[in-house]
Amino acid sequence: MSASEMIGDQAVFDVGIDVGGTFTDFFCTASEKTSQACKTPTTHYDLSVGFLRGMGLLAKQAGVPLGDFLSQVRSIRYSTTVGTNALIERSGPKLGLITTAGFEDTIFIGRARSWADGIGFTEGRDQARIKKPEPLISPDMVVGVRERIDYAGKILAPLDPAEVRDKLQELVDKGARGFVVGLLWSFRNPVHERMIKEVIEQEYPEDYLGSMPVFLSSDISPKAGEYTRYMTTIVNAYIHGVMSDELTKLGNELRDRGYKRPLTLVHNTGGTKKAARTRAVLTHNAGPVAGLHGSAVLGALSDIGNIVFTDMGGTSFDIGLIEDGDIKAHDFIPVIDRWRTNIPAIEVKSIGAGGGSIAWINELMNNALEVGPQSAGSMPGPACYDKGGRLPTVTDADLVLGLYNPENYLGGEMFLDEDLARAAIKEKVANPLGIDTVEAAYRIRRLIDARMGQEVFNEVALKGHDPRTFAVLACGGAGGAHACGFAPFIGARRILMPSQSSVFGAYGASMMQIKEVWDRSHSMKLFTFTKQEYLKDLEGFNRVVLELKDAALRDLRLEGYREESIEFTLELNVRYGSQYNMTRVRAPKLLLESEADVKALCDLFTERYATIYSPEATYPAGGINVEDFTMTAAVIRPAPYHAEHALSGAEPDKSAKTGERPVYWSPDKGFEDTPIYQYERLLPGNEITGPAIIEARDTTYVIAPSWRYRMDRFGNGSIEQIAR
Amino acid sequence: MQGQKYGRDTEIVQHMRPEPMTAREEAAQAGIDDTEFEIFKHKMHMIALEGKETTMKLGASTAMRWGDVAFGIFTGQGDLSVCATGIYHHAVLGQIPIKYLIKHWVNEPSVGCKEGDSYFYNDPFYAGVHNADMGLSIPVFYKGTLLCFVGAAVHTGECGGSEPGGTVTAAKSKYDEGILIPPIKIGENYQLKEDLLNMLAAMNRDPRTMILDIKARLAAARIAERRILEVVEQNGVDFFLGGLRRILTQTGEAAKRKVASLNDGVYRQARFLDTLGEDNGLVKINLTVIKKGDKITLNLEGSSPMLMDRPANSFFQGILGLSMVYFCGWLFHDLPSNNGLLEAIDWVFPEGSIVNATGDVSTSIAPLVQVTFTHGMFQCGARMTYATHPSRAVASWFSGFSIPTFGGLNQYGEPVADITPEINATGCGGRYDMDGVDAAGAFFATMADCSDAEATESDRPFIYTFRNYFDNSYGHGKYRGGAGVGYGVAVHDTNFFMLGSHGGGAKFPTTQGLFGGYGLPALFVRRVQNSNYKELLSKSDRHLPARLTEVFTDQNPEKGDVWHQNISAVVKPAKDGDTFYAYAGGGAGFGDPLEREPESIIRDLRNGMVSAWAARNIYCIAFEALSLRLDKEATELRRKAVREERKRRGKKWADFNKEWEAKRPPSEILTYYGVYPDPGTKAHGTDAAPVAASA
Repeated sequence: MSASEMIGDQAVFDVGIDVGGTFTDFFCTASEKTSQACKTPTTHYDLSVGFLRGMGLLAKQAGVPLGDFLSQVRSIRYSTTVGTNALIERSGPKLGLITTAGFEDTIFIGRARSWADGIGFTEGRDQARIKKPEPLISPDMVVGVRERIDYAGKILAPLDPAEVRDKLQELVDKGARGFVVGLLWSFRNPVHERMIKEVIEQEYPEDYLGSMPVFLSSDISPKAGEYTRYMTTIVNAYIHGVMSDELTKLGNELRDRGYKRPLTLVHNTGGTKKAARTRAVLTHNAGPVAGLHGSAVLGALSDIGNIVFTDMGGTSFDIGLIEDGDIKAHDFIPVIDRWRTNIPAIEVKSIGAGGGSIAWINELMNNALEVGPQSAGSMPGPACYDKGGRLPTVTDADLVLGLYNPENYLGGEMFLDEDLARAAIKEKVANPLGIDTVEAAYRIRRLIDARMGQEVFNEVALKGHDPRTFAVLACGGAGGAHACGFAPFIGARRILMPSQSSVFGAYGASMMQIKEVWDRSHSMKLFTFTKQEYLKDLEGFNRVVLELKDAALRDLRLEGYREESIEFTLELNVRYGSQYNMTRVRAPKLLLESEADVKALCDLFTERYATIYSPEATYPAGGINVEDFTMTAAVIRPAPYHAEHALSGAEPDKSAKTGERPVYWSPDKGFEDTPIYQYERLLPGNEITGPAIIEARDTTYVIAPSWRYRMDRFGNGSIEQIAR
Repeated sequence: MQGQKYGRDTEIVQHMRPEPMTAREEAAQAGIDDTEFEIFKHKMHMIALEGKETTMKLGASTAMRWGDVAFGIFTGQGDLSVCATGIYHHAVLGQIPIKYLIKHWVNEPSVGCKEGDSYFYNDPFYAGVHNADMGLSIPVFYKGTLLCFVGAAVHTGECGGSEPGGTVTAAKSKYDEGILIPPIKIGENYQLKEDLLNMLAAMNRDPRTMILDIKARLAAARIAERRILEVVEQNGVDFFLGGLRRILTQTGEAAKRKVASLNDGVYRQARFLDTLGEDNGLVKINLTVIKKGDKITLNLEGSSPMLMDRPANSFFQGILGLSMVYFCGWLFHDLPSNNGLLEAIDWVFPEGSIVNATGDVSTSIAPLVQVTFTHGMFQCGARMTYATHPSRAVASWFSGFSIPTFGGLNQYGEPVADITPEINATGCGGRYDMDGVDAAGAFFATMADCSDAEATESDRPFIYTFRNYFDNSYGHGKYRGGAGVGYGVAVHDTNFFMLGSHGGGAKFPTTQGLFGGYGLPALFVRRVQNSNYKELLSKSDRHLPARLTEVFTDQNPEKGDVWHQNISAVVKPAKDGDTFYAYAGGGAGFGDPLEREPESIIRDLRNGMVSAWAARNIYCIAFEALSLRLDKEATELRRKAVREERKRRGKKWADFNKEWEAKRPPSEILTYYGVYPDPGTKAHGTDAAPVAASA
């Protein structure tokens, strides 16, 4: 931190906030030396209530009044679900869509398979019950205007402003409160979309009461593929107003209480930006992305380049990748709620597995035991929660196996009823299978661990990596209890368990960079199929790159950054011939200067392709096209400081061991007396060899036999497999 | 050399059900723990999914790009144990090429089967439903032991026939159909043979896509090979062999259990196809479904005789394959998709019939025969399940085809030949409690999508003139069928191009309604040569059609040489600006339209999803034309009157039947039908067939 960034001599705080379904998490570093964390229940009716309550708790922990605390906060990086909630609750405004005449049904046709977007594999297999989601814009709010642009950006049919005025009036008469403009090939030539915006602004200037926001698909998402482009723009428009209102209110409340800096939002592209300069659609699913960023930070501390980030909660299991210390995997077609989009989001896959996953017997398949995908969620939750749930879940199985202390779950804040867990497993699983309740619990646990591990394996493998070279970072409420169970199915032999695992999204958010991603579709043949020659139009390629760079620079300058402090990265989506899917390559340099540069780029693509899909699959002679350009502009920041502690001996202090209890580790040995440790009494350098249980205030770490836990100098846990 | 017979192997295609369990597989069963088996099963599923996703990512043809992909793991005997697909016919068809190569090549010294080998095939007698379905598989060895095969099958849109686009409408025999390759070795030592690739490319109008598709299949198979070897390292060979077998066995048992839960009964559905290829003609696909105990028997006796010089024939295995589309997607949706399912299915196919082709006859438009059969399967299935599992009783999705086919040079001068992706924009049939889904996909390729217009225009030389729902594409009903998509394309930036179409149902609707619901109207295509479309477009002419309905109004300003023709149309040259209009059919209606909630009809009127004519004359509601305000009272009176009228028109069965029996179609369309009304074809060993007349 530079001196100019200090606020007098006082400590300064950097705060990360992550809104979850049940809790809102807070993580705060003070002058980059100490840190503190807290949680508050998420106040879905008004997220700012929980937000301010959490800030109050942080202030209390820092020992200063809220006003003083807020005045010393240097940054607030906020990962919010306001927009997502608006989508789920369908509480957005009535929007009108202006599109190319003849294509009014594009968003309803939804590439036909929109019924399957955002639902699970099992649900999607039942063809008899498929349904498309309720649209965000109703069919009567879509109008077509005569115009046409082709693949090369050439205008085939000019736009008539008079027709636009007529159609606009039609939408206004029907009650439109905002407009989305989506025309075919507008990402190639946006002139017609811009003309429509001009007409709207002429008709309803800003100083009129009837002024309404206008969103152009060529602005929000200049990418090929009209359905995803339109849906990205529609989702953005739909949540824009709600987010703007809530964030303005929150900003005002913070200002009134003493916070003087801008509120910064976490983006799903892997960076942060001022709320006022954020596109709403980029905030979706930002929480897991913040967690993934935290993994990269932690990986750097531990000198681990390849990490699988996992977050196991009650209903879902999130998976993300750090490759060579970096976040590279972008979602090819990110689905927001039930809508395919094309935002340049970091890929964090979510599967339906968690502590609440329900175990059941598939009678049709010869009484096979299955776990999930149905979940008891947090309400009614597992049977042992005693909130009305009567179906056996993974958490019930863990409890029956002795992994959780029913008296000390979540630091004693929640009592677990083991009898209810046993009864549910006995009735629904053990009896039908004719086996003992404990054995049934063991099977439930092993099946869910296998499923999660195998899913992780696939995610890593699909990116062209050997999963066995990755370490697992486990967080989330149930991550600590299951990581030793699912890691072997990935082939991973090392698990990182961060000290902030229960607020890891907030931790990650607090460490995030200012970063902006600018991307655009622009098709160019790097190597032609017909003539077998390399791209000659280097200027055309460079023009696109420079335009993206200029746009990024302009934006970041407005936030007060100089070009020297910005790092640019160019990534390209490349394909052979007429393949649909792309392979992303990071360009070795921003601009092409010679044919040799083009060849180098083509070779890089083929090399990457061969790595992922095998050399037999490559086909350079089929022609190589670049289709999308993605420019990332990141503000260079020093690596975040983490306080180091002196290492104690391997043996934990006697007070750390709080007792023993029988835990069922395997059918071979049955229940074994297992030492229990209190996490808060462990010191850096301490080692615990499994089997053991470490109980923390907010989670439980299960150290399986053949694994050894060690707390590192930063207070984070590292578990290594010492024998297979 | 084993004394090859060199010709199609009629014995191997009889191996549709799982082969008997080997002694090693049987011995392995005792050592397989139930929980570990479930873990293994999930892992195999993950491997297959990875294979499917990889194939789809790397392929280039329309079907490959939009998800019409199957990836499977086969036992060492060739049975398909694990399959990731939305095109379920591969669940039983994908195994045949593997069984063929096991039988013919594994022990043949001049070919053999070693680690690093790969095999290619597209002869529909073994590989799929027609020769555009191409497959590639590889053996997986572990320390010298053949463990299994893995492979991918996908429709590649061009196969070098006498017409572009994968189907040859005017084929007279299989020799018109282009590439027809029984399983051959295409690679050794982890390398594809460049000379063979070159040969395949040379036989194809779109060599680049052909090669990319082959490489996509291979890449996916190689990844699966690596994964499987990792599993075997961990679980051992016996566990792996026994586990793959157990998946098959369990599936068969589960299918039987599911069938046993249905009421016994006999369900009949005669279906008719109205095209023989390039000319009109009626043929019959006669389906009887007998459900008894834990078995379902499909009997197709009484179908029309085989067409000796027309392509509307199917091999029996193709029909069985398409039955799996219904079973896997609708009845057995909660079971694995593999050929173990056939343990619950029996079949009877008549000799010398269009559903059991033999010899050198063409089967180029076999998919049309097969989906005509599948429609019967949906109809019978709905009646079979309604009493016990009503949610399974679904009116048919669009059960024909209506697909433009094309070939030529694209806007960049690159060769292209394929079909348009709107094959996957058809409507789903009505359900017992809700309408069908508009533009739901394709019932035979349930994981496929219909692309963006921009994606298609980016490397196909045409522009869409419009692409919207077509309100006259579906069947009406208490719950209406989902609408299909109507669209037009104009040739753009090329003059070296051919356009035609593939499909049926232009004369006799392919898709009937269910339980009183309406079927689909007849389909058609419209072609305009020497069109003034581009000139009109350049002026943004406000009367240019924005929906298919508007193409046929007097206001349509487009001029040129206009042809309205059967969907089944051989390609013709098309030049820049020529237009072609078609639509993907909608789903069939479920239940009596008079029972449809009037408010739903008003909603459809507002959204342009039903015509005012249909609202008044089929749904019989009364409403104010401009405001679309419903007149409830008048509607009730009108519907009551229509019901009374129906009663007045009612006849006693004997009277109706007497009149009906006296009717017959014009003789000129019965040339290929066989004896009317019952062609009388029989299965081998049953009573001798009556005269099965044929051209």
